[in-house]
Amino acid sequence: MKTHTNGFTKAVWGTAGRGAALAIALVACAHTAAAQTAQEATKPISAVEFGGTDVSDGAYKAGEYNGLQNKGGLGIGHFDLRGGAAYNDDSALRWRIKGADLGLDTRSLSGEVGAQGVFRFNFGFDQLRRNRSDSYQTPLQGAGSNVLTLPGGWQVPTIAGSTATNNVVNVLSARGLLTTIGTARYINTQTNSATFTGLLTPTAGQISSVSAASLTDVPAFQNYNLHTTRTKFDLAFDYSFDPRWGVSGEFRPEHKDGVKPMGTVSRNTGGDISTIIPDVVDTNTYQTDMRVNFRGAKGFAQAAYYGSIFKNNVPFMQWQNWATGPTATGAINFGTAVVNTMSSTPGNQFHQFSGSGGFNFSPTAKLVVNGSVARNTQNDSFLADSTTPVVPVSSLNGLVINQSFTVKFNARPAKKLSLTAGYKYDNRDNRTAVHVFQYSDAGEAPAANTSFVAGPSNPLGAVLAQNANANRAYSKKTNQANGEADFALSSRQWLKGSYEYERNNRDCYSSWISCADAAITNEHSLRAEYRATLSDDLTVRVGYTYSARRTPNYNENAFLALVPYTNVSPAAATGGATAYSVMVANGWTGWGPASGYAATTGNMNMFFPSNNALANAMYGNLNRISELPGMRRYYAADRNRDKIRTSATWQATDELSFQGNVDYNKDHYADAIYGLQDTNTWAANVEGMYAVATDLSLSVFYTYEDLTAGSAGNTYTANSNTATLTGALATTIGLSGNSCDGFTTLQQRNNNNKLDPCLNWFTDRIDKVNSAGVTLMGKEAWDTKLDLTGNFIVTRARSDNTVTGGNWANNLLMGPGAAPTTTAAYFIAASALPTVSTDTYELRLNGRYAVTKTQALHLAYTYMRMTSVDWMYEGMQFGSLSGILPSNEQPFNYSVHVFGVSYVLSF
Amino acid sequence: MKRVYRLAGVCAFLLGGAAAAAAAPAQQVGTAKALLDKDFVCTTCHDASSPKKIFSIYQTRHGNRADARAPGCMDCHGPSDKHIKDPGTGTDVVFTAKSKHLSAADDRNASCLKCHDSKVLPRTNWMGSQHQARGVACSDCHNIHVPDQKVMSKATQAEVCFTCHKAQRVQTRRISSHPLAVTGLGTTAKMSCSDCHNPHGATGPTLLVKNTVNETCSTCHAEKRGPFLWEHAPVVDSCVNCHTPHGSANAPLLKTRVPWLCQDCHSGDHGNQVNSAANLLGGNVTTVNGQQQLGAAAPRAQTGARACLNCHVLVHGSNHPAGAKFQR
Repeated sequence: MKTHTNGFTKAVWGTAGRGAALAIALVACAHTAAAQTAQEATKPISAVEFGGTDVSDGAYKAGEYNGLQNKGGLGIGHFDLRGGAAYNDDSALRWRIKGADLGLDTRSLSGEVGAQGVFRFNFGFDQLRRNRSDSYQTPLQGAGSNVLTLPGGWQVPTIAGSTATNNVVNVLSARGLLTTIGTARYINTQTNSATFTGLLTPTAGQISSVSAASLTDVPAFQNYNLHTTRTKFDLAFDYSFDPRWGVSGEFRPEHKDGVKPMGTVSRNTGGDISTIIPDVVDTNTYQTDMRVNFRGAKGFAQAAYYGSIFKNNVPFMQWQNWATGPTATGAINFGTAVVNTMSSTPGNQFHQFSGSGGFNFSPTAKLVVNGSVARNTQNDSFLADSTTPVVPVSSLNGLVINQSFTVKFNARPAKKLSLTAGYKYDNRDNRTAVHVFQYSDAGEAPAANTSFVAGPSNPLGAVLAQNANANRAYSKKTNQANGEADFALSSRQWLKGSYEYERNNRDCYSSWISCADAAITNEHSLRAEYRATLSDDLTVRVGYTYSARRTPNYNENAFLALVPYTNVSPAAATGGATAYSVMVANGWTGWGPASGYAATTGNMNMFFPSNNALANAMYGNLNRISELPGMRRYYAADRNRDKIRTSATWQATDELSFQGNVDYNKDHYADAIYGLQDTNTWAANVEGMYAVATDLSLSVFYTYEDLTAGSAGNTYTANSNTATLTGALATTIGLSGNSCDGFTTLQQRNNNNKLDPCLNWFTDRIDKVNSAGVTLMGKEAWDTKLDLTGNFIVTRARSDNTVTGGNWANNLLMGPGAAPTTTAAYFIAASALPTVSTDTYELRLNGRYAVTKTQALHLAYTYMRMTSVDWMYEGMQFGSLSGILPSNEQPFNYSVHVFGVSYVLSF
Repeated sequence: MKRVYRLAGVCAFLLGGAAAAAAAPAQQVGTAKALLDKDFVCTTCHDASSPKKIFSIYQTRHGNRADARAPGCMDCHGPSDKHIKDPGTGTDVVFTAKSKHLSAADDRNASCLKCHDSKVLPRTNWMGSQHQARGVACSDCHNIHVPDQKVMSKATQAEVCFTCHKAQRVQTRRISSHPLAVTGLGTTAKMSCSDCHNPHGATGPTLLVKNTVNETCSTCHAEKRGPFLWEHAPVVDSCVNCHTPHGSANAPLLKTRVPWLCQDCHSGDHGNQVNSAANLLGGNVTTVNGQQQLGAAAPRAQTGARACLNCHVLVHGSNHPAGAKFQR
């Protein structure tokens, strides 16, 4: 985000001066006031407002949703026209047309005409621009289209380095775009060099190559402002055949376009790299509602249809790989462009039929029933290429049936007692067929897996690529029942108690094995609440809710649903063993045995070599996708939840009142050894309101929020028997400020990687937000013709993240012949991340001066300021990350003044 | 050509509407006078000169006297015989919030529900809803005497809701939020609370307008509805597993920052790594041998920039045959 903090005085006076000139001109048009009559009080008032506004500086974040993102003048235009029959006329026909913010990118227009009780038509238009970034940069050309190309002459960015194969080379790295990093001294990794592990100064050739790439590429980075716009239309009608029967409908087409940032993956010889590309958005959504209503004296019933059709006009995104080409020596001209593609969000349809009804058995007993069935489909063609050798179907033909049913019964058997009982059923039933898709990662040539060749013992067929995955069609069914009783202890005190039971069932249609971490969860909730009006001036509320969610059988092997070859016997396995059968026989998850290094043979060596995790190739996947034993995904894990709600309202005097409340939430995931452990949030608010005079009021508030989330993990890697570093004799390890295990040699550590307590880590994320505000509202304030409103809100957010634990790193400065006692690896302790801070201030002043009864002058001033510091942006700059093309985005910082003046005519 | 179709659709819609209007039952002559005569009992005293803007109700739907369903003063306030005899006493049902005669919420609501329970704009799910059960009255949010109720306007509705929902008020002011807060010139907010919530009662959780969280979110974010070839289990489960919709210090509306949000569920492969300040640019850690960088000679990509989302961007689901890792 651009920073605009200079020229404060100039900006203010500049905008004020232009505004004042316009104000004087408009006042000159004013006439004198006249007294209001009873007829005028009952006549709908129309108004037209027009004028201009000046924005001191352009800042996308300041204008994120309000259309004020650009510096300079903008028109102010609002109107509200009303007409039709008078209130005492026998015609109920009335109409209204309304427009707002006509001069901004957030303009809206709406209208309605109708004879009340008979028919009504509405139309609407609404534009919503969302600004995303005005500091984003990219060298890619064609931004705004779905085909992006690198500029001619693009050179692969590199840094000076050497390799273990004893070459002095330039190594591909986006860090080299900052030449001081690209040409810095580097550790000599040539094992046959006399100065192995010493620091080398880049050669003239290396420096030249790095500089050439930087000189060519850096100027190619150009700003491209990222924003999207939603344009909504709305047509609606409502017609009553008679007082009991009616129909209504609504059609809401919406178009969204623009560009947003999107991370993408490409491939180079060393692994995956990322490019944040300008992703084109061009979509249409059409929503339709149709309803038939029955309105009776004792009940109401409705049959309805809701349809939503989403269409994406962008078939894919395509971009050139910024690291394409040989990288062994120096800078390489971008010659043979390697093109990568990303699929776009597919179009989908959702058609829902619903019915609802309410019936009053008596004045104190009511039954309400709602039900719906929906069909959600998606069948856009897949985007296949050379990385996808096995695509069994050309499109998903996806089908999800959503069913919902609720019934609620309310009764008041006694004046002091209210009872509610309810049941709710929701079912997302995904009936999409399951197939096995084979692919290599982006830009990588598919390679066949020799363990799974075609043959009678392989019902799924040969594996032709590194990944053979089956889609998982997730379904979820919820049954919920609740009961609540509200008892009036006295005329001013109420006690409420409730109980709720919720059961969730999760599974996958047609999956070879359960895909659900938690096939069943049961949750019981108890709630109690006390409300009281303690005096005429004081009311209080205190509530407490306790919930316990339990998962009877958490499934740590749910990931197997993705990899069906786990259930196919590899060619070299004996006895028809499969990865799954070995896991079941030993009671293991994909993490494997919880023991140290051990030489293994036969099937065990094939599936769990050296007591390690299940070998990826043995289940047809490039990456390890099993989780740590004890990892519990928080949305399905056992959970104890405590909620406390308190509030009080005190009317101290006729003029002065106070409100306050404190909320507390705690979620504890008792069974989670890894993953989210706890979340704690609490918030306190206090607000005072003072009526200075009949038409002048002041309110002040302060709110504090504290959110904490704690998680645990473990950085385990495969066990090994390696005793020394390559090319060195060093065997000892060193701890740096953390004595977490008893290992002293490299071999001990490597033997026990899966058990090393040093690899446990814990993080506590803490968001603290202080907010305060003042609001002043004056109607004909100080007995003048001035209506005044003023708001000042300040928000101060701080996010901290403490991290304990750490990781091992080999001693990079280790050369051949080093003494065995030389430290081979160090434990690098984790450390807290820098504080992320955001301070925002907004001052809004609006004055409306009634020049006459029908004419007014509207003056508006807004000051918006944000200062933010966020370490996340460091990784987007030149010289930061090696595998990510910089986008040079900046944290949001702005200081913007907006002055507006407009003339209001009422009639 | 698309525009022609759209124009044709609009014309057909309007023509259909006009035909429907023409076929509408005629309104009865004398309806307005009859209703106004009933009001006269009250408007004799409470005329246009009243400090409270009582007469402006005639600009509203409730004051449209040609509609026989529209309530008279006593339909809402009760016959109020005592008040008629002694203006110092309150009406049978008093709605004024600061009045010492303020009626109980149930009594005030009963006045509204006489029509709105089943006959006019039925609030079928009101009874037993969170608001009803906590003693909220219709008149706590609605002021039916004014032509432009705050709660009925997108620009000002949130102000009404924030009277009670204080935490949400400040959440909308965070660095990442939906466009609920009025900013800039203050003329309009681009969303209202009722875009997602039905304060009158609903079948969904937390008074959401649709049956589930995901159905509600999909009304605006239909592109995330799927079904996708590769679904992400927590996304299908509920959007609020990861997002906090009123505002967050972690963009985009995330409960907590990535990569830790991802690591709350993923501990395999490179998802198991510790991410700390040691992984940032310049994050060398002092060892007995001097400065040494953790891992590779560059900051860790999962800790920098967009973290996991540098590569795994299609977390809401992918439809690419090679998209199981949400990268394509």
